[in-house]
Amino acid sequence: MPATAAAEAPPSAPEKLAARLSSGEAGESLLTALREIKNQIIGNRTKKLVYLRLHAVPRIVALLSAPSSPPPVIVQAAAAVGSFACGVEEGVRAVLDAGAVPHLTMLLSHPDAKVIDSAARTLRIIFQSKMAPKYDFLLEENKAFLLSLLNSTNENITEFAASIIAHSCEKPTEQTSLCDAGVMQKLVYLLGGSTNQRDTCLDAISAIVRTNSDAAAKFISIGNGKAFNSLMGLIQDRYPRTRLLACVCLITVERAFPVYFQEMQIKSKLIVILLDLIEEAGRVGDDAPFVLKGLIEESEELHRQALSVTAAERLCGYMRKGKAVLEARRLEGILLVLGELSSKLEQSRAKLIELQVPTLVIDLLKHDCAQVRTAACCVIKNISRSLKNLCAGRFGTESTVMPLVQLLCDSSTSVQTSALDAICNVAVNLTTKKSVLLQCGGVSTLSQLARSMHSEVRLKSVRALRNLMFLLDRKDKDFIFTELTASTLTTLISDPDPLVQEQALALAGNFVDGCGDSTKYIFSEDISILNAVSRQLKSAGSPGMCIQGMSFLANIAAENDLHKDAVMDCILPVSPDLNISTPNSFLVNFLQSKERLLRLSSLWCLVNLVYPNHKNSLRVSALHSAGIISQLKTMVNDPCLDCKVDPFPLKEFTLRS
Amino acid sequence: MPVRVVETSSPSHSSGQDLSSAQPSPPSCSLLCAGRSFCGTQNVSSLQKDEAWKVNVRIQGCDIEHGFLCGTMEALNVPLADTPVVTFWEGEIVDAKNHTFFTGKWEATPEDDIRHWSKFPSFTPLLSQIEEDGGKSLDLSNYPYIFMRWKEQYFVNVGADCGLTIAGFYYVCFSCTDGSISGFYYDPNSSPFQKLELKCMNEKPGGFSFSSYELV
Repeated sequence: MPATAAAEAPPSAPEKLAARLSSGEAGESLLTALREIKNQIIGNRTKKLVYLRLHAVPRIVALLSAPSSPPPVIVQAAAAVGSFACGVEEGVRAVLDAGAVPHLTMLLSHPDAKVIDSAARTLRIIFQSKMAPKYDFLLEENKAFLLSLLNSTNENITEFAASIIAHSCEKPTEQTSLCDAGVMQKLVYLLGGSTNQRDTCLDAISAIVRTNSDAAAKFISIGNGKAFNSLMGLIQDRYPRTRLLACVCLITVERAFPVYFQEMQIKSKLIVILLDLIEEAGRVGDDAPFVLKGLIEESEELHRQALSVTAAERLCGYMRKGKAVLEARRLEGILLVLGELSSKLEQSRAKLIELQVPTLVIDLLKHDCAQVRTAACCVIKNISRSLKNLCAGRFGTESTVMPLVQLLCDSSTSVQTSALDAICNVAVNLTTKKSVLLQCGGVSTLSQLARSMHSEVRLKSVRALRNLMFLLDRKDKDFIFTELTASTLTTLISDPDPLVQEQALALAGNFVDGCGDSTKYIFSEDISILNAVSRQLKSAGSPGMCIQGMSFLANIAAENDLHKDAVMDCILPVSPDLNISTPNSFLVNFLQSKERLLRLSSLWCLVNLVYPNHKNSLRVSALHSAGIISQLKTMVNDPCLDCKVDPFPLKEFTLRS
Repeated sequence: MPVRVVETSSPSHSSGQDLSSAQPSPPSCSLLCAGRSFCGTQNVSSLQKDEAWKVNVRIQGCDIEHGFLCGTMEALNVPLADTPVVTFWEGEIVDAKNHTFFTGKWEATPEDDIRHWSKFPSFTPLLSQIEEDGGKSLDLSNYPYIFMRWKEQYFVNVGADCGLTIAGFYYVCFSCTDGSISGFYYDPNSSPFQKLELKCMNEKPGGFSFSSYELV
């Protein structure tokens, strides 16, 4: 039976359609080809990529400016370009590379209204991408052009103008320039338009006030608070996306001008709205937890507020209900909020533990998505800051530690470092039970990672080992040391990263503390560790490194005379030429340091050097000669009580000397 | 340290402390830090007999900023127990910011508080200010003593049915000068003013050594 309806014909092959774009076809045939391409690629990433490979975009863009293109062709070409630029990075790149933006901008003054609409819509889509070019608002002609767009009665054009602002306005000078030009008032006026226009204007207002207190104050003052009130109204708009964008805008204003937000009521309302939005479908629900996390970030007060509106219960409810079906991004966002909530308050941690969050989160350490695994590690890290639960051994269990150790070999560095952070906390064993980390190969893996090329991985591995070493019995300390080796520890003490040096010295300090003979390891391999410490202290690197270095020496000096003499050699090295101690010991500088803890650790080292028999003439004479005793005498007026209140025999020793 | 059960304790009251006025933190002291051990005795004498238990304390965590510390307490020669009894305790540091001298819970009235704090000679210079404004304006950051309350939370190595109670709490005074600790146990149902006396321990032969951890 012959076909009667053209609409039922099968779609043409992309190759044929693409070829028709440059075969000199014109009129209806070209229009049909363009329309068919546009229809094929709308919402179809695969098809977009096919046409990109066929180099269709430059040919379509060329039609935008071809003198022979009639308005219907331009309209279809602009729409097709907009579709290519929507949601596919390669598409945006191709559109930009083909020079579409200037052509489309020219079309905004085209006599045909449909062409203008189509061009404006496409430009708006392009400027929603991060790859779009930045617009220089400081050029007067650009600013004048932007204002002309904002003054347009065409909503597609005003939306485009707001998109430009949302995308490009970043610097304080740009924000101020736009404010001075009256852009803020215009955007506030446009909030009364269509949903799309309103949403884009909310984005633009957020961009202008971000971290700019003057701009935020200006926004608040518009219409004697009317702008602010309309924003307050929009956080309860019927459209979820508008509610979300209004929340973002309000939070941005609050961050820039916190004085206006002293009352907790608004923030509490925002928390509740954002919690509701997490239940919304699509991007709104996916983005909402990230906005909520940003709102409560670093604020104990807002953490309390979130708890009071049952945020923990609701977030756990979402996770429990939809763990298997939730989009990875939403799951990640929810985990980040839970992580934030548990980052400061013990009360929050107790609530999350009561809700059995750790059990839920441990399952997610095996999630397919790396971002979810990273966020799950973050929750465990923050919940395990609870000293009470560390003492109860809640986090040192096999079910928590083993999956974390497995993540140390994750292909994603971000997961690996987050797992290291979590292990760092759960490694603190305040119970009498043996740490699982010592039994599951964790020490070996951490020791290997301490040799990583990646300084962040080295830092976190060494910190985890340091925490694991805390108050361990001698046998287990020796086990860790043997796995790590003296040469690795020496290398880490001399690491190029000062933070690694600091952690390595703290690890060494923990190793030599406590009962039993640890010093046989420290004094092995030609006292390489001691030499490395001495070298670092002489170089007077970061205060943190010097503090840990002096604490390490204080611990060594707490042993017998042999060890005290070795520490003396470190702090008062003998000049090879004169065979006398050099008078300019770094210790004098440390005792004068502005860093309280450096003065304190240096003091403890001295206490141990003269303890218990402060009449040991050799060490005392050497300290005298180096000017250390006279420096000590000046410390009776130290502003730090802990340095001033001399703990043991030091004051007596100082005054007698 | 646990004491013998006399009768079932009442539930504690909620905290009624006024924390609104911000004050400097108490002095940090290097001898009051995680890992530090103390040993001594708790006098549990009653009218019937003199008795003292050996006690070891280990500080497990210290958060000066939030006026919090915690640790374990081991009682060595408890008559009713076969093994040393270990409890986990949490401490409040009196800093006029996070915690005041007034307990406001654990069945301790302001009168009980003053009566117990007054047992420490180092408290005497502070008394008039506390009577005037509750101690809100006190700056304890340069005071060479740190006042605390230690409240045992659970038994670590024995069951709650071990015949001992941890219903009470300690009023504690730590000396920054020598690291010594004095304390008085308060439980309306136990012998009053059981005195805790601890000295800072030195595990190494030639001085004091330190361990540390860092939570991220």
